[in-house]
Amino acid sequence: MSSGVCLRVLRAAGSPPAASSGSWSRVRLPADPRHAARRALSASGRGGTMNVFNRDMKKKQKEWAASLRDGHQFDYLRDEVGGRVADRVYDIVRTFPLALDIGGGKSHIAGHLSKDVVERLFLTDVSERTLKQSRRSEIPTHRVLADEEFLPFKENTFDLVVSSLSLHWINDLPGALRQIQQVLKPDGVFIGAMVGGETLYELRCSLQLAETEREGGFSPHVSPYTAVTDLGNLLGQAGFSMLTVDVDDVQVNYPGIIEVMTDLQGMGESNCAWNRKSLLHRDTILAAEAIYKEMYGNEDGSIPATFEILYMIGWKPHESQAKPAKRGSANVSFGDLSKISQPTDTNTS
Amino acid sequence: MSGSNAWTRSRERMRLFPELFAQCAGEAATYGRCVAATTTGRQELRKDMCAKEFEALKTCFSNAAKRKAK
Repeated sequence: MSSGVCLRVLRAAGSPPAASSGSWSRVRLPADPRHAARRALSASGRGGTMNVFNRDMKKKQKEWAASLRDGHQFDYLRDEVGGRVADRVYDIVRTFPLALDIGGGKSHIAGHLSKDVVERLFLTDVSERTLKQSRRSEIPTHRVLADEEFLPFKENTFDLVVSSLSLHWINDLPGALRQIQQVLKPDGVFIGAMVGGETLYELRCSLQLAETEREGGFSPHVSPYTAVTDLGNLLGQAGFSMLTVDVDDVQVNYPGIIEVMTDLQGMGESNCAWNRKSLLHRDTILAAEAIYKEMYGNEDGSIPATFEILYMIGWKPHESQAKPAKRGSANVSFGDLSKISQPTDTNTS
Repeated sequence: MSGSNAWTRSRERMRLFPELFAQCAGEAATYGRCVAATTTGRQELRKDMCAKEFEALKTCFSNAAKRKAK
């Protein structure tokens, strides 16, 4: 099967889309900014979801990052995390006929996977230019332009859904996880990696201290992240079972704060929260660089930036999966523990 | 956007930032230590608590920029 770019979203004949928010027109990426506000209004009906990020701005940032001539130099983080997600896919000894990579960008995971593990891959992203630059892998890939919060796929379609470093820009994370659970087949698995918790805490603290000292107050420059403890709840509420969550720290050393911010921009990870301040004063940048170097700097003069990556594995329930035992079905008692004797040595010498 | 505009010019200026900053490592360390001390001390960080150190840093930085421009 040759890979092709599907710019228009897949339309399953006559079947309802996985996105619970209604009509097909939602799936085509809205061009005007009013759509973003409307999305928030319709989402609020689902129990007060937040509208934290400007999705339109994120798309523009990703398009800009993809248009950079030497953009590949910023791919190191995504490649590293993509490799670790692929490791987790290999840990599951199964062949997945159909897989979905959400927010896959230039396809950093498929490069590490082989055709025996994944037979067909759908790659989605909000940015068309990023999709066009996606790397060829041996797995036949279909590239689909779609928003992570409005997956245009039928229920019970995929055996495997992966997502690497794109869930942290989603407004309605519970809803998105629920949609992922819906597009999975029973006994399908979702393996995700998202930045969370203490990511970029050095940058956040340096900017906060610098702004407080120079300007008298501070505004958030680093977007809010999900804590590890919340992830289990989120996955459980979305309907996943047999959850596994673990945390990995990736620390990257940079020469200075300007390089940190340039690289984040180049990765397409610029801040797009609605409440972001759109400028940094020169004095604040100077102060932040001094604080960053002094508080967190290494001996050789470089500064570390921490990316705390949360990896999550969740399964869609299926009868074949092990269930917790029924109450009252125990046939041994804890009281019998004392009766257990030491194992006797049967080899008499 | 092609050609020279406010964004390309400011980006060019920012590119010089690390080089100029490297020439003021001493003042930067002093300022950084002043701010870092407030995080452990009892007093909360307020505006201009380390203004003197920052002025020294900024003067050094501006001088470095003037030397570079020459």
